[in-house]
Amino acid sequence: MTRELRAIVVFAVLCATGLLVVVAAHAQPQDDVQNEPGTSEGSSIPARELANPVTPPQAEDTADDTAPEVDPPAASVEDEQDETQHGETAIYSNDTDDAAKPASGLEALSADPKQWPMAGRDYGLTRFSELNEINIENAGRLQMAWTFSLGTNRGQEAAPLIIDNVLYVVGPYPNRVFALDATTGELKWMYTPKPNPAAQGVACCDVVNRGLAYNDGRIFLNTLDAHTVALDAKTGKEIWYIKLGEINRGETITMAPLAAAGKVFVGNSGGEMGVRGWLTALDQETGEIAWRAYSTGPDEDVLIGDDFEPYYDHYKEKDLGVSSWPPDHWKNGGGTVWGWVSYDPELNLVFYGTANPGPWNSNQRPGDNLWTTTLFARDADTGRAKWAYQVNPHDLWDYDEINENILLDLEIDGRARKVLVHVGRNGFMYVMDRKTGEIISADKYGNTNSIERIDLETGRPIENESMKPELGKVIRNVCPASPGAKDWQPSAWSPRTKLLYVPHQNLCMNFKTSEVGYIAGTPFVGATVDMYAGPGGHRGEFLAWDPIKREKVWAIKEHFPVWSGTVVTAGDVAFYGTMDRWFKAVNAKTGELLWKFRAGSGFIGQPVTYEGSDGRQYVAILSGVGGWSGAVAAAEIDPRVRNGALGFTGAMQDLPAYTLGGSELLVFAIPETDRAEARNTYGGGDHAARQ
Amino acid sequence: MPHANKFLCSFAALGALFFASEAAAQAHSHADHATTENAPSDFLDVPATSLIPGDIKIKPGVKNPAAEDSGSAQRGMKYFANFNCSGCHAANGGGGMGPALSNRAFIYGDEPEQIYLSIAQGRPAGMPAWGTVLPKPVIWDLVSYIRSISDAPNPQWGSTTSLEAFTIEQVPAEFKETPDPWKYTEPFSFGQQPRPKKAAGEG
Ligand code: HEC
Repeated sequence: MTRELRAIVVFAVLCATGLLVVVAAHAQPQDDVQNEPGTSEGSSIPARELANPVTPPQAEDTADDTAPEVDPPAASVEDEQDETQHGETAIYSNDTDDAAKPASGLEALSADPKQWPMAGRDYGLTRFSELNEINIENAGRLQMAWTFSLGTNRGQEAAPLIIDNVLYVVGPYPNRVFALDATTGELKWMYTPKPNPAAQGVACCDVVNRGLAYNDGRIFLNTLDAHTVALDAKTGKEIWYIKLGEINRGETITMAPLAAAGKVFVGNSGGEMGVRGWLTALDQETGEIAWRAYSTGPDEDVLIGDDFEPYYDHYKEKDLGVSSWPPDHWKNGGGTVWGWVSYDPELNLVFYGTANPGPWNSNQRPGDNLWTTTLFARDADTGRAKWAYQVNPHDLWDYDEINENILLDLEIDGRARKVLVHVGRNGFMYVMDRKTGEIISADKYGNTNSIERIDLETGRPIENESMKPELGKVIRNVCPASPGAKDWQPSAWSPRTKLLYVPHQNLCMNFKTSEVGYIAGTPFVGATVDMYAGPGGHRGEFLAWDPIKREKVWAIKEHFPVWSGTVVTAGDVAFYGTMDRWFKAVNAKTGELLWKFRAGSGFIGQPVTYEGSDGRQYVAILSGVGGWSGAVAAAEIDPRVRNGALGFTGAMQDLPAYTLGGSELLVFAIPETDRAEARNTYGGGDHAARQ
Repeated sequence: MPHANKFLCSFAALGALFFASEAAAQAHSHADHATTENAPSDFLDVPATSLIPGDIKIKPGVKNPAAEDSGSAQRGMKYFANFNCSGCHAANGGGGMGPALSNRAFIYGDEPEQIYLSIAQGRPAGMPAWGTVLPKPVIWDLVSYIRSISDAPNPQWGSTTSLEAFTIEQVPAEFKETPDPWKYTEPFSFGQQPRPKKAAGEG
């Protein structure tokens, strides 16, 4: 048999068995390519199969750095070289202050305005800081305090963390972690993991990382090749690591983990590769998997049981994660978890949203495709779903719903309500009851013509018929485009102004679907996309929204999508960055520009603010364009071919004339001379308004 | 749901198509090209760099057997979509998860045999190795297609980036499917809606 014929036979056999996965003709098939229904035990993957959290790396793990081997040697070279550590730590100084013991518990840390202990600042992801030394009166005098280069010029989406005057920050692939003195910028240690370089090819939208998590003296890191690592915050030494996903199935990790309830919550990426989404809870101490909840498949995998009480009746049938799909399609149906996790300690619930179904071509997957583009509330200890709400049933335009769910206590129609605000990718602002999953209101905040309104009786969106994809036909001017009216870039909430600050984009698209076959580890998209500026010609907006009155209060138009996060402070200043290299401070009440700084590269990072050991207030953000929107300026992408970067090139093709990639951490403060005055005069130091 | 099954099995259908129709055709064309078939050892001499000790010139004996076949690039275009190359490299090779293939800037070389090896062996930063999965003639058609889409207008030795220097863009793939996308260009749109903004007969 010639090699050609053998390859063809492999083809035919694969197709005949219905196992729509390509394996190499000579290599042995990857083990356990898909979990068969019923064979998975509950929904948790035995931890031992994925990695060994405490002992040195296993052969299985090291094998993925090399060509696939049929029989990996029991001890690899790596094992011999390094018995205890997966990556490398370089210690630069040892002058950590022993007296400064970490405060106990993340809630305590969040209550201390000096700190920025998690990406969203607190479990409710408000990104609000009580600091007011920098305020609307003096923000115009902000100056550079220090900078630091992360050395990798790809998209910088991470939020720095600040715990007791140490700033921790992670870069894009290869995901180095740095610990710096938050006041002086002195490097304390650096940790270099060794993610498999092949992971870069299966990361849909640049090789970004959205940040670290911290708890009890540990830093938690996700790597692009789907590992989670725990580091000693003081020394940078590895405590445990675990491999959670398989890049040969297209799984990567880009999200910032959340540490809560003794666990670390991690979700996978790969919605463009037909990856089956999950959220996994790891034991904070050992790294072992406590539970894993899949986003598709039978109830036992999705962790839906008798205690599941969704608000809307059509979620109450059994095994909807199977029956709302064509046969077996849920196995590569997407619903990845690459966005934000929030936590309500009182209810002991974690909240998060799932991504798009695969493929983007909706013709290939009749049905609602549960539980993709779905908001989940789960018990933090058991993972069992309390309620769920699917934002975009049978998603038509790649509207992932992984965006932040901000937890607030608001007075609505005279009633005090515990709400969750979901700034939807589909262009609607959802205010929901976070105990029950009931939608209180859902209003358009961006330019949306694809969905007319949300039916509050059923929770279902009413779509615009003329915008629905038809196989092989170009549907023009669908707004918002696939990245939505807002993507992952997180909003902030000020309890003082009672406004939500929303960095977002104004894009529309041409959308043409085509049939696509599933080949594990390759894109499962089936759409030719071409994005461009929405109505008005500007591509971004920084919006202040009143979730009680349900209206826009003010908005600043930006040339490019506002792809950075934002922070708002008790000094009534909101910060955000633009892709054309401006870092801006605006008056949170009026939107008036107070100050701007032109940096080396565009901004897609998350600004944070904290107090240094010298008592000064600092504002920090990473400069370095990239991400899905900025890839055309940071990666090898041709601005003249509009359909590049899954269609985002069309909308960003002129970006390379404004910026290239970068990797600079920038830290700002107001000059010493302005400080005393600021402290004593601004706003009476009003810390009371915090909800 | 028979409708759904049909789509789920589109890949199976693709395989069957190979087996039924193309295998025969390939066997036939192999007989034709028996003399031009590349020996596996010829590939061993294909350099991945232009730096060769002793300043000697290497011209490996590898030829694209489909070089004279005018339908090769067209078939390559179909494979580029069917094997999801387009998912990573984008329609017309504009780049995304994988680098742009729409210009002459190849990391691993732009000679047909170098492109062949990039596809067959894979490349470390995320290019899958297709050599044991795809038949050789399919890879050669992909090479023909990539050579064609990378034939970008080349007015300078380097390239200048500025708002003034952006002059053209391709007619996007949703409107024009062709193995020669550089033959169909429009003025650069600066992130705005491309032409034609409206199709004939649209409001
Ligand atoms: C999973 C994503 C992915 C898929 C699928 C994929 N590629 Fe690639 N490809 C890449 C990446 C990433 C690189 C760059 C690798 C590197 O630099 O090491 C690359 C590199 C290449 C190169 C070399 C480019 C150069 O500059 O030298 C060629 C040629 C190529 N791919 C062709 C193809 C073809 C043909 C297919 C389909 C059969 C394909 N690719 C499928 C991701 C992909």
